Amino acid sequence: MEELRIGVYVCNCGTNIAKVVDCDAVVEAASSLPGVVVARPYKYMCSTPGQEMIVQDIKEQNLNRVVVAACSPRMHERTFRKALQTAGLNQYFFEMANIREQCSWVHDDAEGTTRKAEALARGAVYRVACHEPLEKLSVDMCPSTLVIGGGIAGLTAALELAEAGHPVHLVERTERLGGNLARVDLTAPYLDSATDLLIDRITRVRESPAIKVHLSSELKELSGFVGNFEALIGPATNGGQPTTEGRRVGVGSVVVCTGYKEFDASRITHFGYGKLPNVVTSFELEAMLKAGRIEMKDGRTPQYFAIVHCVGSRSREFHGYCSRVCCMTALKYAHEIKSSIPKAYVSDLYIDMHAFGKGHEEFYRQSSEAKTLFLMYDKNEHPVIKRAGPKDDCDMLIEVNEKLSGEVIEIPADMVILMVGMEARPDSGQVARLVNISQDKEGWFIESHPKLDPVATTTEGVFIAGTCAAPKDIPDSVAQARAAAARILAKIARQKIEIDAVFAQVDEDHCSGCRVCNELCPYSAIEFDEKTRHSRVNSALCKACGACVAACPSGVIKARHFSDRQILAQIEGILS
Amino acid sequence: MSFEPKIVAFLCNWCSYTGADLAGTSRMHYPPNVLSIRVNCSGRVSPLMVMSALTKGADAVLICGCHIGDCHYVTGNWQTEKRVPLLKKGLESLGIDPRRVRLEWVSASEGARFVEVVEDFITEIKRLGPNPVKGAHHDRRTACSL
Repeated sequence: MEELRIGVYVCNCGTNIAKVVDCDAVVEAASSLPGVVVARPYKYMCSTPGQEMIVQDIKEQNLNRVVVAACSPRMHERTFRKALQTAGLNQYFFEMANIREQCSWVHDDAEGTTRKAEALARGAVYRVACHEPLEKLSVDMCPSTLVIGGGIAGLTAALELAEAGHPVHLVERTERLGGNLARVDLTAPYLDSATDLLIDRITRVRESPAIKVHLSSELKELSGFVGNFEALIGPATNGGQPTTEGRRVGVGSVVVCTGYKEFDASRITHFGYGKLPNVVTSFELEAMLKAGRIEMKDGRTPQYFAIVHCVGSRSREFHGYCSRVCCMTALKYAHEIKSSIPKAYVSDLYIDMHAFGKGHEEFYRQSSEAKTLFLMYDKNEHPVIKRAGPKDDCDMLIEVNEKLSGEVIEIPADMVILMVGMEARPDSGQVARLVNISQDKEGWFIESHPKLDPVATTTEGVFIAGTCAAPKDIPDSVAQARAAAARILAKIARQKIEIDAVFAQVDEDHCSGCRVCNELCPYSAIEFDEKTRHSRVNSALCKACGACVAACPSGVIKARHFSDRQILAQIEGILS
Repeated sequence: MSFEPKIVAFLCNWCSYTGADLAGTSRMHYPPNVLSIRVNCSGRVSPLMVMSALTKGADAVLICGCHIGDCHYVTGNWQTEKRVPLLKKGLESLGIDPRRVRLEWVSASEGARFVEVVEDFITEIKRLGPNPVKGAHHDRRTACSL
């Protein structure tokens, strides 16, 4: 029997772990555990020098087991397994202790958190001692992709994949492609027509033999794993009675491009939306611009316009975030209004002007020169809109405490445009559950890493692009859609997907043949051999849930890499 | 010193472990009494694992899986749902308060729910006091050698 030689590495993660957990104490506690020959702390274990440290120790100190106490295994288990492979050690001789997401980030008591980190590391050391060498399985990567949502992001992702020659199922809940962008007239800052941007893409999607467009449809179910998902696409019910009828398609990857919903202006009462007839939302103005005529409810042409920024965004009661596109859209309205009604007066009531993108600052300057009246108001003191008197030559009067001049100013308005922000779609939770991804507290889908992995999610093979992840403009949505497609194309190019070598195995010599496991396997992966009267697991069908392992009355089904022996050792470790 | 219970949490990889990670990435806070063990599915949690935790020093055991209908393994959590009440009956006959074992559904997007579940369970176990059977079973089996 080979002697255990375990290396334990405790990551500081900059200050992410070290600011609450005493990493040196964790190292010291681990170094006295049975089998541990090396224990070290390091700034960033996932960095190249961190991984090289493991490789070097494996080679020089003949380590045969490695434990890294760091972030969640969902984040970096793969990274460290690769380091073991580089050093020539079987990658399953590795275990991670999650001392960041489930420890330093959620606790603030330094003493208790350090003890917990020690316990988790001990559990990992005890567990890794029982690990066995396994070989990963290689399965075919299905080259088809499911794209959910037919807006600009979904159309772009679908085209990118189809143009590389791969099949795409594009699912759109409504009866037409285009998404929210189809409701927009011109786009800021270059004043290109949104229709032109879309028509070209929609035509190419429609003509592409590789893209199957499913209109008035939605994803009903998704099963399987990266490279081998099975999606059920059925008729959209729009919140009605759910159905399970539909068409099953096999896909290797999923791109979620479900977009956003605009903020409901009637949730804010003080702007008079719904009461004053000519207080409209930005999308209502878009509809007038698209129709080619801006008019008041009674058919008159308005002369005084007031545009109010940050409706529902950057507020304490509604959404704390900035919706990113409204400032430039507001400037675009000033241009469009003046070109449609040359005698119009446009006032622009803003909190801060966010002009961060390419060409945006220039567009702002241009708008200032075009005599739009910019009035800055305070976040906590909103403008007051009221009906004008019979002597006024306008319908409404707006009182605003102008921040830069410090004066209370009254401006006339015939039409008030509320720049409504973006918010997560009300059914985004359902989508998140279907494809198994996470949402933040505002409902936006969460990326695998906000900076370094912005289109991947914690579920391998499921990507997010566009405004379903956060408010963003067209160029950013397009860039994300293409990024997601690039990630998928890389997977397709490799043709094979490596999957965990975890599946259940029956010790047939000791199987009593009771057949309890046969019935409960969700994949019908367990066969009963009538001749030997024993059950047998078909490893190709087994997905390693372990339900049979827990149910076997003889205790003779073993879950590889999640065996009783390994889990019991971990329990003993964390509790001793 | 006040009683700080040790709770072993078996979390399914696909929903609840991810939900617990989300509580971390969202920087939510809860007390450090919970020690988690990642399993593929809540259906993998066997009575042996729960009993082992309760006899080796845990004051309570939390089992979390995907919501019914959302199981990554289709029907894995149905097994859990059937198994846990039986297990609780068994615990009762052994003189262990069945409230020391709790089954909860926590999805990958429910970081806040994970925190609520944990905080509520810690409060309940603090009220129940230390697990009387912990340490009763002196299984000195240390880490298995190769």
